[in-house]
Amino acid sequence: MDRRRFLQKAVALTAGAGMPVPLVNITKALAAAPAPEVSMVTGVPYEAAVRRALSMLGGMGAFVGEGSRVVIKPNIGWDRSPELGANTHPLVVRALAEMALEAGAAEVKVFDRTCNERRRCYVNSGIQSALEEMDDGRVRLEHIDDRKFVEVDIKRGKSLKRWQIYKDALDADCYINVPVAKNHGLSRLTLGLKNSMGVIGGNRGSLHFDIGQKLADLATVLQPTLTVVDATRMLLANGPQGGRLSDVKVADTIIATRDPVAADALATTLFGLRPEDIGSTVAAFSMGLGEMNVDAMRIKKGRV
Amino acid sequence: MNRRPAADGRYRIYFHGRRISQLIFLALFIFLFIRTDYTGSDQLEYIVNIIFRLDPFLAAVTMLAAKTVIALMLPALLVLMLALVAGRSFCGWFCPLGTLLDGCRHALPTDRGGTRTLYPRLGRVLLLAALLLAFFGFHIAGYLDPFSILVRGLAQSVYPASHGVIESFFTFTYTQAPAFVNAVTEPVYGWLRSEVLPAERKFFELVYLSAFILLLVVLGEVVQKRFFCRNICPLGAMFGMVSRRGLLKTRGGSEICGKCRICSSLCRMGAIDEERAVDMARCNLCIECAVACPRQVISFGFGGASPQPAHAGLSRRHFLGVLAAGIVLPAVKGADVLAKSDDPLLIRPPGALPEKEFLGRCVRCAECMQVCIGNALQPALFEGGLDGVFTPMLVARTGYCEFNCTLCGQACPTGAIRQLSLEEKHRAVIGNAWFDKDRCLPYAKAVPCMVCEEHCPTPEKAIRFAEVEVTGAAGVVVSIKQPYVVDELCIGCGICENKCPLPGRSAVLVTSANEERDPTKKLPDPYSLGYG
Repeated sequence: MDRRRFLQKAVALTAGAGMPVPLVNITKALAAAPAPEVSMVTGVPYEAAVRRALSMLGGMGAFVGEGSRVVIKPNIGWDRSPELGANTHPLVVRALAEMALEAGAAEVKVFDRTCNERRRCYVNSGIQSALEEMDDGRVRLEHIDDRKFVEVDIKRGKSLKRWQIYKDALDADCYINVPVAKNHGLSRLTLGLKNSMGVIGGNRGSLHFDIGQKLADLATVLQPTLTVVDATRMLLANGPQGGRLSDVKVADTIIATRDPVAADALATTLFGLRPEDIGSTVAAFSMGLGEMNVDAMRIKKGRV
Repeated sequence: MNRRPAADGRYRIYFHGRRISQLIFLALFIFLFIRTDYTGSDQLEYIVNIIFRLDPFLAAVTMLAAKTVIALMLPALLVLMLALVAGRSFCGWFCPLGTLLDGCRHALPTDRGGTRTLYPRLGRVLLLAALLLAFFGFHIAGYLDPFSILVRGLAQSVYPASHGVIESFFTFTYTQAPAFVNAVTEPVYGWLRSEVLPAERKFFELVYLSAFILLLVVLGEVVQKRFFCRNICPLGAMFGMVSRRGLLKTRGGSEICGKCRICSSLCRMGAIDEERAVDMARCNLCIECAVACPRQVISFGFGGASPQPAHAGLSRRHFLGVLAAGIVLPAVKGADVLAKSDDPLLIRPPGALPEKEFLGRCVRCAECMQVCIGNALQPALFEGGLDGVFTPMLVARTGYCEFNCTLCGQACPTGAIRQLSLEEKHRAVIGNAWFDKDRCLPYAKAVPCMVCEEHCPTPEKAIRFAEVEVTGAAGVVVSIKQPYVVDELCIGCGICENKCPLPGRSAVLVTSANEERDPTKKLPDPYSLGYG
């Protein structure tokens, strides 16, 4: 636990104890203190780009400890092939799994609660075969097991107070959120905070009212250790599932950071939009969950 | 008892061979039944519908209904040939329902002395009626065929009910039992989930009816052995009519026989009469009599005609009755209001033939519902008419049609649902969505929601939104995205209705309007009307 997280948690805990602390202002001030490190790497092959992006943050070893249980959460929501940009690219997922193992992970679980039929999504996303090719018993692509959703109180939630969250995601020593950057009809874009919807239970559709705040509320209890935004292909229209190659822009870009809000904010600029255009980014920033001002980030750019 | 060992040995081998054959074919059937599922490939791996394609009764019915030769059903001819050579061995050696009944009998109080078949002509009457009615456009075959009853009962009730029980049990162990128990139970559950159970629980309408019909067939064993096979089964009757004229003959009791009548009291088919003559129209070659006969006088062979028992033929009254039914039922069906305007919620699977042909070809086997990975296909009750019970229809609130899935057409044994290529499937229009603006949140409450648009699978979305300014509940003017349907793009898959987050009735609904198999349902094109 780093200093920033310690302070955030300390403030959250004291607030929970009923102290009249002006929560938002203080965390915002504290979170602003260390400018978040964000790496952005462009180029192919994707595996090299992912490795480069992580090495700029101090390597996977900075996130994954010896013997730790790692969860990688890609977007596998749709029954679409990799080139259509609806799901996280299989090579990005595999690169992260390999790096986690190299850093000493005891197990790497990969899962998503899909929107289309679960097996079709795992197969057609290419992620199932990419991970099977690794042929390593420590890496497991698992289907969601409904018994593992646990009710979680969202103490700091403004719009969402309680929801079912997948136990494996909460219990992981290292939770790596790997969204694919794409267009979304309602929230304009779907990025890291929206990707968290893949580890929650219940009627997810009902979260679409006031979705920005609800995603931020969710982010208070579901905090990724690392966010890697897959912008190798960007679905620009007819998202979030697309289906036409003409809607896909090949950008060959990977963004990695510890700060979930900074990840979304920087990825938003790739679409020619401003971070403040995305409701969940704004809500999460105002709750002190991370940085949204691109100028306040330490952005390290690279090419492969 | 005084047995002659030589003959005894031969029939003993046949007897056990028959049992082994029954077990093998039952296991094969169950294996294929479970594998009627998506396995990671767009093509089904196993020929899961083969059992229906081997059924000469259904082959005759569907061809009479379609008034054409259906190539898919031609394998059934081979099975009919088998009856010419080997009697009703299909019923005794291969039929999975027969095996199930033989197995269940051990658990039921059965009338073991019942030799007289209660309704010896009924099977043939039903066979004739089914064929004649099929020709005149009224379907009853699927409600009588043994495989239809079996697969439907399993797919729509036994299998999903077992799934529920298994899931409850392993949820209990997972949440309540100590770790050492879970060390055993979790791998077992994992194996069941990946190899035996469907990926997700399935739920069916008419679940009680499907179960009840199968249960009735099983409970018939209480009345007499193989009650269904002897009294009702039209497929068995068909085999019987061929077998009686077939090559295989049985020599039953003779002058030297001691008239102990062990054979006739044992016979599960009621094929042996008072004079110990064996009726080849009934005998299913279980070989039990040959093994049990104290003097070993019973034998099977291709030569030598043996006395056939008096055969109960159909009377003129039977024929007239069947003919009357064949004329009256279709006539009454023609006066059903559905003949004038059909039920708009009757949405057929993609690739389904035009309704009249579809009803003729569909054998109500439930293979399409078993294979439907979205749990979208449900058995109809009377939505498709009196003879449309158990035909498949899309119930979108329960499940939606997966955009990239073509399995139902592959599973259909008769071609009632055509096999579509993926490209054809993507364009196959089975219905059309419409918004209930009194319930849809952005319209009714000025609350943002776009779940339907998010899930709409057509590459160019059939659900789009217009950004409009409306006065919300608190009197505040807000900008909101309101969804609408583009009819030319909507294929009626129902994912919007399925995923609509409103509790209860969906705010976006699918009807059969615009379905491609009926040109009269074409929706007006706003562009051609000049509104676009």
